[in-house]
Order: sequence, then C-alpha cells, then structure tokens
Amino acid sequence: MAKEMIAMLLAGGQGSRLYALTEKLAKPAVPFGGKYRIIDFPLSNCVNSGIDTVGILTQYQPLELNEYIGNGQPWDLDRLYGGVHVLPPYQKAHGSDWYKGTANAIYQNISFIERYDPKYVIILSGDQICKQDYSDFLEFHKAKNAEFSVAVMEVPWEEAPRFGLMVADENDKITEFQEKPKNPKSNLASMGIYIFNWDILKKYLQEDEADPKSKNDFGNNIIPNLLRDKRQMYAYHFSGYWKDVGTISSLWEANMEVLDPEHSGINLFDENWKIYSRNAGMTGHKINAGAIVENSMVTDGCRIKGTVKHSVLFGGVKVEAGAVVEDAVIMGGTTVKSGAVVRHCIVAENVTICENAVVGAMPEGDENGVATIGSGVTIGENVVIGPNAMVNNNVEGGEVE
Amino acid sequence: MIKSSTSVVGIIFPNSYDALVPELVNVRLMASIPFASRYRIIDFVLSSMTHSGIDNISVIVNKNYHSLMDHLGSGREWDLVRKNGGLHIFPPFAEKEVGGPYIGRASALASLLDFLKSQKEKYVIMSDTNVVVNFDFNAMLQAHIDNDADITIAYNEQKLPEELLNYQTSDRIFYYTFDLEQGRIRKVYINPKTDGVQNTSMSIFVIGRELLIELISNAYTQGRSFFMRDVIMPQLGKLNVQGYKYTGYVARISGMKSYFEENMKLLDDYNLDALFSAGPIYTKIRGDNPTHYKDGAKVQNVMMADGCVIEGEVENSVIFRGVKVGKGAKIKNCILMQDTVVEAGANVEYLITDKNVTITAGKEMKGTDTFPVYIEKFKVV
Repeated sequence: MAKEMIAMLLAGGQGSRLYALTEKLAKPAVPFGGKYRIIDFPLSNCVNSGIDTVGILTQYQPLELNEYIGNGQPWDLDRLYGGVHVLPPYQKAHGSDWYKGTANAIYQNISFIERYDPKYVIILSGDQICKQDYSDFLEFHKAKNAEFSVAVMEVPWEEAPRFGLMVADENDKITEFQEKPKNPKSNLASMGIYIFNWDILKKYLQEDEADPKSKNDFGNNIIPNLLRDKRQMYAYHFSGYWKDVGTISSLWEANMEVLDPEHSGINLFDENWKIYSRNAGMTGHKINAGAIVENSMVTDGCRIKGTVKHSVLFGGVKVEAGAVVEDAVIMGGTTVKSGAVVRHCIVAENVTICENAVVGAMPEGDENGVATIGSGVTIGENVVIGPNAMVNNNVEGGEVE
Repeated sequence: MIKSSTSVVGIIFPNSYDALVPELVNVRLMASIPFASRYRIIDFVLSSMTHSGIDNISVIVNKNYHSLMDHLGSGREWDLVRKNGGLHIFPPFAEKEVGGPYIGRASALASLLDFLKSQKEKYVIMSDTNVVVNFDFNAMLQAHIDNDADITIAYNEQKLPEELLNYQTSDRIFYYTFDLEQGRIRKVYINPKTDGVQNTSMSIFVIGRELLIELISNAYTQGRSFFMRDVIMPQLGKLNVQGYKYTGYVARISGMKSYFEENMKLLDDYNLDALFSAGPIYTKIRGDNPTHYKDGAKVQNVMMADGCVIEGEVENSVIFRGVKVGKGAKIKNCILMQDTVVEAGANVEYLITDKNVTITAGKEMKGTDTFPVYIEKFKVV
C-alpha cells in the first residue's frame, strides 16, 4: 500500500556552534523548553499533520538520539506499517560511505523510501524549533502542481544575506535561488523544509550522485539543478513561529521565548498542536517554604528551595536554599547548591554547581554573552564562570572567562 | 518463558475498601483515586510489581471501573504489554453462576479459577489498592520461601486510623490485625476497636498457585466469599500462615481525612523520598507541557504536577496536572485534582476539588483541617 507522503528528517548534523552541548550529543537531541528535545518538534508536527512514516538520518553521536526515539511510541509513531525509523549510514556490498551531504544521505536511503512507494517526500531539518502543519504545505504543493516546494519565511532585509533566499514571482513560482548573497534580491529565507514529488527527487538524487564534483547538498546542488531545468518550483510562505537554534544565543533566546507565549508565538500549551516527548517518569515537582519562583517553567522531579526567576528548569533540577537562578536554562538532573548564583546562561544535564559558585552574568552594555556549561561537569565552590565562557570540563577553582 | 521456581502471577483487587471513601469513588474506584499530584493509587502497586519482575498481572474489577480502564489502557506505561502475561483486566462475568459483581476476594477469585489453572507460575501475589507503598515483592517472596510458608501476609506496625475505629461496621468492609508467634500468624482480629500500635494487615498475600486454586475451589463449593475471614482464618492451625513485617513507608487511605493527610504528608521531603526512593512509579502519560509560574505567582510548600498555569498564590497544597490558578487567587491547604480551575481572586482553604472543578472568580470557601470541603467532579462553584 502506497503512502501519500513520508518524511525524511535530517538529524546528522554535529551542531559545532553549540559545542559544549553537542560534544556527546547530536544536535536534534539537545533538550529544549523544559521537557522536550529539539527533534520533538518536527516529529510532533509530522504526527499532527497526519504523516505516519518518518526516516531519521543520523550520523553524528547517535547513541542518545537512538535511545530517545526508541520505537517512536511517545509520538504515536510505533506503527505496523511505517512509523519511525532511525537510518544511520550502513555497509553495502560495494563498500560503505558516511553521509557526504544532505542529498547523499537521502540518496543512500532510496530503498527505504521506495518501500512505501510515496507520491511525495518532505525533507525536514532536525535543528529548528517550529510548529508547522505540513498538510497545509502539501495542499499548497498540490494546488500549484509543483514538483518542488520550499517553505520560506520573510526575514528583515538587513538579515537576508545570512540565509539561502528564494526569489519568486507573484504566483510564488521560484525564479532564482541565492545562497547567502551580498546583494539579496529577496527576503524570503528558505527554512530548509522541502516537499518533492518522489519521482523528481529520485531522478535528481541519482544525477547528483553521478556528478563527482557535487557536494551532494540540497542547497548547493539539487535546488540549482532543478532551477537550471526550469522545474515547477514554488515558495510556500510560512508565518508561524520558526527558529533555527544553531547557536548558543539563539537556543537560549528560544527557551526564554517559551516563557512569553503571548508575544513570542511559541505556545507549548496549545491543545490543538501538542508537542510530544518521552516522559522521564519523575514525581511532581516540589517548591519548598522560603523558595521564590517567578515567571518560570518548572517540571517533574524539580526540588526548589532557592530563588528562580525567568528561567526554564528541566526534569529533576535541584535549586538549594540560598541559590539564585535567573534568566537561565537549566537542563535535567542538574543541582545548583546553596549560595551559588546562576544567571543568563545555559547549563546542560547532570551538572553540579557547588556552593557560592557564580555562573554567567546579566548583560551589561555590549557584554551579553550566554555562558554555557557542558553536561556532567562539576563547577567547584566559589568558582566564577564569566558570561562568554563555554565550559566542558570540571573547574575546581578560580575564574573562567 | 516462565522462570524456574520463583515466578509470580500478580492479582490486584481495585475495588476493595471503596466504601471508606464514598465521595471519591462516586465516579471511580479506590484504585483510580488521584494521589501525590500525578498518580492514581494503583500506580504504586503496579509499578512495584513491575520492579519486582512480575509481568503477568490481573486486575479483577467489580464496578465503576471505566476510569481505571481508561487509566490502564494496554498497560504500556508499566511495561506490561507482554507477549506472555502482561496486563489483564477481568470485569465481572455476568453469565456464569459465579458471575455478577463479587462481594469478597474469594468469590472474585472463583470467577478466575480457569485462568489460574492455565497459568504456569508457581506463586500468586495478591494486593488491594487502599495502601500506597513502593513495595519489594521479591523480598516478601524470599521470606515466604525461606519460612516454608503456605501463605504469607504483609503487615505494618501502626495505630489503626481513626476512621476505621469509628467506622460503622458493615458486612462489606473488613480490616484485620494479627497476633504473631515467631513470625507465624496465630490469631486474627476482625475489625478490632483497640487503640495503640498493632500488627495491621496490608492485605498483600503470597500463596502457592496450586494451593490457592484448591482453597478457592473449596470455598466456592461451600459458598464462602471472604478470603481472610472464611478461608484463611479457619486454617490458621493447619496451614503455615506467616506474617511479613513491612517497615517501609505506608500511606493507608481509610477515608477522606486520611486521604487528605496522606497527600499533605508528602510535602515533607523526608516522606516523599521515603515513598519514592525505592524506584520510579509509572503512571499514564498525558503529555502536558511544564508548569508555568507567571508574574504574580507566589508559591510556598507545594507539590505540583506538569501542565499547570499559576498566576496566584498557592501554599501548603498538592496540585495535580493541568490546574489553572488565576491572578490574585489564594489557595491554602488544598488538594486540587486534574484540570481544576480557580479563577482570579478566589480564596480557598482546606478544599479537595475533584477533576475539572471550577471555582469562580472572587469565591471564598473554607473547610477545616479536620473536615476539608470536597467538591465533586465537573462542579462549578
């Protein structure tokens, strides 16, 4: 039985700009928003959009991501036919290859896609926070009789040179593609979310693979080739919440936006578009007498005796009496001990911040760095971690800039 | 695969002691009463069984079991979707002569005789759901084997709850205390009114499967209904019935007052750790987002689940999933069950709200510590 559309989710990226968080973790597995991981968003979007077959292309540090996905049950993707499949590179009769680029990753899994005989394939990216109805996107693709459609966001013109831009006519038909141009002709940034007719995608993947000079990348190769051949290419305007969380500051910002859904547009309380995640099975959280909790997200397993302001706390975080957490993202299992002050920073999982240590600082003038502490690290007593620091090893004493 | 000589079938009686909490079981049964901000009482015994390696569990329901069926689903959250064994729910079998709602444990088991005969496990462990514990069934089974016992019954040393002492005895509610001699139960007291610390039965039994089948078959032909009173007590001289002293944390729900108190006791970290440190307790996942404390929230000494939005003041309270507390609302010494809404400016104390209750804006309601006010499901006050 053929599927109308299946999803291929690119989750192999290293996320090197998130270094301290992704040293042992694929970027899509990075925790977000109190009880989610980045990949929960595209996976939940798929299920909410009626897509029940998802291939996840992994390559970099897949262990934790694989375990997290498991059989896909938390996203209702444990299906008899279809469901979620983790697709790492594999050995073939004639040797084996790492995924050389985004297009090559899909090319190497043509046989997976063919099993479902889909009419359309949607290519998703595992490093964005976005709530999007892919079925609306597919409606658009069909209505335009397109062979390729790309989701685009209008960005401010001054920021446009940072993006891959689609130049489109009044019918949304794409006439030109500019990859990070100095002189942008458009402010329609590609979100890296594509719908292809499968026969077209397959043909171009095969041609691309045959070209030894190709970088095997959608942006660099496949899309320019489609343009060259004057294929039916359309830009689909998306206006909801979308954030590429490729940097520490954008990841921090996106977490803070969760605290202000009325203005930011990222509402995790939306009953009509739930974001699903794997549950850690901890008790309800506790806020003790003497604690202060203001404008924050708190979830199961947290124990709060100190002060927490404008912060996002993940499962099992402990904030001891006399500790202060402000404008911070504190991931699961971390302990902030008595007298420690943690501000304007991201602290990864299972970190211990010892007595009277100081991590990060509120922005002053131009200085608005987001300090980052990698997972499993211990920050010793009285240690001071500066606002621009990225710490990935235990710090026993002194200051880190 | 059935493992050697130590494998166990678990049987849970979710309706026992319903009559003690008539308000809470109006639309449910004892097992599905919400407890400790995100659980139902049955989660504790089910998770304990899972942790002890018991993966063939039968729940014999009697009445009002829709909420329990909804909660348990296929048993996935407790890792009980198994090819062999797993979770079975036995509703009353209305067609046979043993059918209809049962009145005692023995008559309930009579309807299960064919099932019990077809199982391969050597032992059966039975439990009610009025006692909240994080129980190590393996330790109890080991004691049963070491003592060469026919039947082992768990007890804890505690004072009988006031509610049991004051309970107007009916033929449906029995509680038991024991006299022991070197661990062997020599005398059983039914519904005693004695004050002071006693060996109080937790109604958790270990028994050989073959022996249980034999005892229940006999009881059935003789028309006996109550396992403890009619089956075990007459056999105390003949069978080696051992007591197993449980020293872990026990929350015994014997009425509205103890329900309120046992929830509140968990606000003390010492008690919370004592109950939960033995292993995680699993429950149905709702997929709530984290709880959001907004500007104006002031929270002291609370246990709270996910999915809540708090804009008011909450003190000394246990708050379940999805509760909304509006601006300026004041909540003190309350248990607010799932999806309760307390609108702006309301002021409540010593209140137990059932699911989906709404306290309208500006409303004032106060119970007392000895008599918390209970508001039933879906009520708008």
